[in-house]
Amino acid sequence: MLKIKNLHARVEGQEILCGLSLEMGSGEVHAIMGPNGSGKSTLASILAGRDTYEITEGSIEFMGVDLLALDATERAVAGVFIAFQYPVEIPGVSNMNFLRTSINSIRDQKGEEPMPAKDFLAKVKQCAKLVELDGKLRDRSVNEGFSGGEKKRNEVFQLAMLEPLLAVLDETDSGLDIDALRIVSSGVNALRSAERSFLIITHYQRLLDHIVPDRVHVLAGGRIVRSGDKSLALELEDKGYDWINEELAQ
Amino acid sequence: MKAEKLAEWVEHASGGQGLAQSDQGPRFPTTRDERWRYTRAGAIVGRPMRPVATAGQAPDSRPLPCLDAWRLVFVDGHFDSANSTLPDAGDLAEGVFIGPVSEGSKRFPEQASQWGHGHFSKTEWFAALQSSSAQDGACILVPAHLDLSSRPILIEHHLSGPGIVSHPRNILHIQQGAKAEILLWTSSDAHADGLVNLALDARVEADAELKLEYVQDEQGRNAHISHLAITQLEGSRLDMHTATARAHWLRNDVRIEQAGERGVSNFNGCFAAAEDEFVDHHTHVDHAQPDGRSAELYKGLALAGGKAVFNGKIVVHPNAQRIEAFQKNSNILLERGSTVYAKPELEIYADDVRCSHGCTTGQFDEDALFYLRSRGLTRPAAKRLLTQAFLSEALNGARAEVQAHVEAVMLTRINPA
Repeated sequence: MLKIKNLHARVEGQEILCGLSLEMGSGEVHAIMGPNGSGKSTLASILAGRDTYEITEGSIEFMGVDLLALDATERAVAGVFIAFQYPVEIPGVSNMNFLRTSINSIRDQKGEEPMPAKDFLAKVKQCAKLVELDGKLRDRSVNEGFSGGEKKRNEVFQLAMLEPLLAVLDETDSGLDIDALRIVSSGVNALRSAERSFLIITHYQRLLDHIVPDRVHVLAGGRIVRSGDKSLALELEDKGYDWINEELAQ
Repeated sequence: MKAEKLAEWVEHASGGQGLAQSDQGPRFPTTRDERWRYTRAGAIVGRPMRPVATAGQAPDSRPLPCLDAWRLVFVDGHFDSANSTLPDAGDLAEGVFIGPVSEGSKRFPEQASQWGHGHFSKTEWFAALQSSSAQDGACILVPAHLDLSSRPILIEHHLSGPGIVSHPRNILHIQQGAKAEILLWTSSDAHADGLVNLALDARVEADAELKLEYVQDEQGRNAHISHLAITQLEGSRLDMHTATARAHWLRNDVRIEQAGERGVSNFNGCFAAAEDEFVDHHTHVDHAQPDGRSAELYKGLALAGGKAVFNGKIVVHPNAQRIEAFQKNSNILLERGSTVYAKPELEIYADDVRCSHGCTTGQFDEDALFYLRSRGLTRPAAKRLLTQAFLSEALNGARAEVQAHVEAVMLTRINPA
């Protein structure tokens, strides 16, 4: 469902990704791990459709479509969801109004009817339960005054509401305490399905204790330098990233 | 503008009343006057206009048709009793009056002798013109300790067509401990090109409460100048919302005087200037006595070719200790080529006060726009949602019907791309 081929990207003239390739199938959970500065955040931003990066080479294909040709809105309509590392606060826009507008905007662009209010409310109830998001947080302005953990739970809540085909979790575990980590992970696990794939970008192994990946990739120097099963994550935890760096240097 | 030309315009626009001019009286405002620095009044007096002896056509429907309210309708400065909905005199408590000034001044001559022509008539040229040519408007008298707020009063002023100037005069008198909820609404016909020169004088006595909502939704290319002077006595409370939903050329002058201790004044405003439109909000709160509070929030939007002005003045007098005064003004320039002149003015002569002001003018937060787009909203839909959010803070506390109307008109009109 996702094919990234030989991706090269620059930020302000500096090459951050230099030949990244990655392939994911439907229903798979892949983790991308890597040291600081390896290009993890750049990859997330490129998938989200930000225009602060210049793609100099390579391609990204999503469900047979050229993802790079789509803007941020079109990607969401196509079924890509990014759980952001730093979700934005939007004062004055209630979470509910935001989600209703979002869902109906996606449906409208697909030529579908708006979701009936009753179905919407039932879905809100069900999805909020998944990440233990209480009523007060649901009714407040988007992320306004939310703690770090609440913001991440709100991201997973939106993920559950929008039902994407591909969910990219960008350092969702950063700034989470143990309880929040457990809530977020069990929410994600409940959303795993044969159609839905997850790309989990993380620095630490601990999230992968809760969300067990099918594949683990190590990103270093702007490329995938090693791929393996979940045991690779444990090896990294054990030996640290220096081990990879040293091996690369040889 | 030559003096003879101006005199000729005044002769017409005042309906032959003229303008009592003296050396001390207000002069015609030019951009050399600080209060009119960005506001060109010259264009108004460049085209001839007159008050009309009989009212033109009232609009087909009333604003907020579902709102259960007493309604006073004025067209071109004349009372339109056929379209008004008023209580029978016998149904109201002794001393209450809801009707036109023309009748109120006859029924309550003693009170009427004390209705002045507000603060502005002595300082502002157009207000002086208003006072010398004053026409009919609403008169709301609420005697002491009476709560009239269970049913709002909607005052509608309409300008019916081209070449017409109206000078409506409105009087609100909320006596000690009384309460009232009043909506002031101005509209104009699409062909109107003259001037609405409106005055409102409100007196809110000790411990009284006035909730005032002012909606300006004018279809024509007429100019509009409002002079709102509100005097508050001790322990009184004012909650005011002003929304310029649609106007071609508009100046609002609001002056709130806290003449008694412990006054509370909350006043918000929102406005939008689209192409070829001009909106100017001048506010002035005078803390003349101790222990008062004021909180002000004005929000403005401007599109390409639109120009808006916000000038918010807070004066704390030397003896007015323990004042809390807050002012916030945020403006969004929606497109290249839009202009907002924003000026907070604080004059504080007492030492034990808490005053703050904040003023921002910028564009939409690109991160917020991106976040919304990444959830499937198109760029226009994301801007629309952010616009709505931006306005909602200033409309917060206004009646839901008013909020809905103002948001709908503004969002349709500005329709950001």
